[in-house]
Amino acid sequence: MAPSLIGLLPFGLVCGVGAQSAGASPGEALGMSALIFSGAAQILACQLMAAKAPLTVTILTCFVIGLRFLMYSAAMAPHMKPLPERWRHAVAFLLTDQAFAAAVRRFRDSGDTRNGASYALGTGVLLWATWQVSCTVGYWVGNVIPAAWSLEFVVPLCFLALLVPALEDGPTRVAALAAGIAVLALDSLPMRLSLICAGLVGIAAGLIAEARRGAP
Amino acid sequence: MTSAYDWWIAIVVVGLLNYLSRLSFIAVFAKVQMPPLVARALRFVPAAMLMAIVVPAVVFSSPGTLAFSYTNPKLVAALAAAAVAWYTRNAVATMTLGMATLWIVQWVR
Repeated sequence: MAPSLIGLLPFGLVCGVGAQSAGASPGEALGMSALIFSGAAQILACQLMAAKAPLTVTILTCFVIGLRFLMYSAAMAPHMKPLPERWRHAVAFLLTDQAFAAAVRRFRDSGDTRNGASYALGTGVLLWATWQVSCTVGYWVGNVIPAAWSLEFVVPLCFLALLVPALEDGPTRVAALAAGIAVLALDSLPMRLSLICAGLVGIAAGLIAEARRGAP
Repeated sequence: MTSAYDWWIAIVVVGLLNYLSRLSFIAVFAKVQMPPLVARALRFVPAAMLMAIVVPAVVFSSPGTLAFSYTNPKLVAALAAAAVAWYTRNAVATMTLGMATLWIVQWVR
């Protein structure tokens, strides 16, 4: 989990810098990191607000890239069953890419759902706190970082570090390949719809590959 | 400058929508049994979604312009980072070596 925490620091810095350069007030920047709690959505929202995009466009676009959380939620759901309702809501709020990846690994390794769920909660809270700190630091001091450093590249690297371990067998690799091709093919779709469509294509490809592998 | 209202409306609504997305299945499938097909499909969510996020950030040199060559520093750095991730499974090592490769390739160009 420590790698996840450390990995979030530069990601948060980038989001904080983005908020500052988009003209967000300190309160608004903190609101984004605390209430939205999603780097991809925060960066996108800042870009759109800075470009004076209509509010509905901003909201809709951020919603679309957050649709992957639907899938994470569905994957976490079976493990959340034995938990009391308030726990489920707390874990849900704290569900990010990193928390999800860590929780999935934990569920798979330990098999003990109650432990896995409290691990998800603890991880989530720690990630959330780390996120607030790194976004705030980025907001206040981020603009001293030279543009030539290309610090924003840590964002895809962060996701890449999560992606590679997820490529565990043939069907998942097929899913990834299909999603990669689809996202490029569908790039001209508006509002980053390519993201959710490519995800669906990848999932379908994975299912097909798995079915074919299982066939005698 | 956009008005303060705009920012806060966006923050609260996006935050709420994200939360509802995250909560959706957790709240639903606490009470209802998940269909087997859905359960099988979920295994592919991370690989597919993460790939869909990473690829555009790496292969476009500018919006709409594909750059599938060794002259694209981001592509070279991403491939190096992927190799590190593959062998070490360490996120910090991946990000560090990825950034280092990016800087080296940018500097050499």
